[in-house]
Amino acid sequence: MNVFYFSSPSTFYRLAGAMAPWFFGLAVILAVAGLYVGFVQAPTDAVQGEVYRVIFIHVPAAWMSMFIYFVMACYGAVTLSFNTRLAAMMARALAPTGAMFTFVALWTGAFWGRPTWGTYWVWDARLTSELVLLFLYIGFIALANAFEDPRRGDRAAALLALIGVVNLPIIYFSVQWWNTLHQGSSVSFKGTSMHVTMLWGMLLMAFSFWMYAIGAALVRCRNIILDRERRTRWVRAMA
Amino acid sequence: MDHQYYLWMSYGATAVALVAELVALRLGRSRALRTVNEERDLEAQD
Repeated sequence: MNVFYFSSPSTFYRLAGAMAPWFFGLAVILAVAGLYVGFVQAPTDAVQGEVYRVIFIHVPAAWMSMFIYFVMACYGAVTLSFNTRLAAMMARALAPTGAMFTFVALWTGAFWGRPTWGTYWVWDARLTSELVLLFLYIGFIALANAFEDPRRGDRAAALLALIGVVNLPIIYFSVQWWNTLHQGSSVSFKGTSMHVTMLWGMLLMAFSFWMYAIGAALVRCRNIILDRERRTRWVRAMA
Repeated sequence: MDHQYYLWMSYGATAVALVAELVALRLGRSRALRTVNEERDLEAQD
């Protein structure tokens, strides 16, 4: 199988159109399962009470905000190294979804922080570095659209995405490197300190957000392809 | 304040953000298709 066959915008457009509904469908099924586990099966937290159930969206959204940025930066590296059109389009397609998840992580964190910490916001390392991530996403989107020639915008934004990767370990390790109000990780590769039902609820929601992000990126990439390739014969024949 | 307020504000805002993105994607597709058709019609007139 020749993988470069799928990097052609016309082939990818059709493939993405066929795949996106499946990803959205999976996202809905996983979200229903995750919310059922999170709200019906998971026990009430002994310390935080019911408000801890914010974690079923806060933690997956925070994970996705970092993961999407990492994938976006990888596409940026491919754009700069090989000057591929599709990689640049995928980087652009991921940015708004990544920004949305970053916003959701910050917003839900604030509404979890108020009843547990007594404040919506503190300028501690975890919260501030996550806010910087939101600014990086906004900067990426603005820079990508700031040029008359979209290919120049692609390269400039790809460079910003690569530079911004330095923020990801800062976000992840901030709770270890500095004395922060934000709690440390409850889940790691070594194990978890959470009740297993709570963990399942969180993981199901994380997979749901992951499937949603892929579906949204595929649909947005199709829109970008339509816009960029609008003067080609295959787009005109299809529209 | 009741904890339900914080849960509703979190889950409600997330739902609004997801729906807003899906609407934006739909509008983006309509706009892109309209541009393709407009350009094709203009060239056909020429």
